[in-house]
Amino acid sequence: MTITLGHYLILAVFLFTVGIIGALTRKSAIIVFLSIELMLNAANVVFMAMGRYFGQLDGAVFVLFILAVSAAEAAVGVAIVVAFIRRRGTTDIDAANLMKW
Amino acid sequence: MMAAVVFFAVAFLAFLGALALVFHRHPMVAGLGMALSTLSIGVLYVLLRVPFLGLFQAIIYAGAVMVIVLYIVMALGQEETGPRVGSVQTGLTYVAAALLLLQFYWAIVRSGAGPFPEGSALPPVTAGGTNYAFGTIQAFGSLLVSHYSVPFEVASLLLVGAMVGAVILSRRSWS
Repeated sequence: MTITLGHYLILAVFLFTVGIIGALTRKSAIIVFLSIELMLNAANVVFMAMGRYFGQLDGAVFVLFILAVSAAEAAVGVAIVVAFIRRRGTTDIDAANLMKW
Repeated sequence: MMAAVVFFAVAFLAFLGALALVFHRHPMVAGLGMALSTLSIGVLYVLLRVPFLGLFQAIIYAGAVMVIVLYIVMALGQEETGPRVGSVQTGLTYVAAALLLLQFYWAIVRSGAGPFPEGSALPPVTAGGTNYAFGTIQAFGSLLVSHYSVPFEVASLLLVGAMVGAVILSRRSWS
């Protein structure tokens, strides 16, 4: 059995869907953040598989940029979570209701 | 054949880690599931003939990012919260996720995405006027400093900005 592009795309779709469910249903801010990282990873898999399929390395370059963006996101996101825990004493995102109308 | 076995094993591990992240109650198990998932995706990059990005994935994601997050979980967040159940938002989320899955599955199966090119069908990559074999770090580096030099500099600016932002956010007087 040969592994085709479709196998990689379907794996990426499954990972992306699980990430969406996590980002929209979990209460802990850390888990929501990690679910968004999981969706970024699913997009990375699509970039890499498509680049391999078309024989271009541009997809791999974009994966490197996404890695840089998600590392920056991790630094800022963790700083926000720490500041939030200091203020509210919880990571529950329902407690972030200051700007709720 | 061997590649197929490795692919299915690694894909299963990646999916298992993602499920552990989203559905396990304990934040530590969730974080370790995410680490398993990112490591497995790094193995997929090796299978896709770009092995050094698999290493980057292991070092940056499963290393740096996951260590920061697991440190926060250990230091601060010990509360165990599972997924929300029974609210309208949860129901809508599952319906939307199922629709998304079906739609993409249908599109991918119908697109007839075939096997990957091998050997002579995989052309060399041209970067900066020179031809390189696909997936070598020479090709990647040449592409990065020739065609993608401006985005590369923007990425470094972004990292500096994020570093300064993280320092400002974690000032003691901010709380």
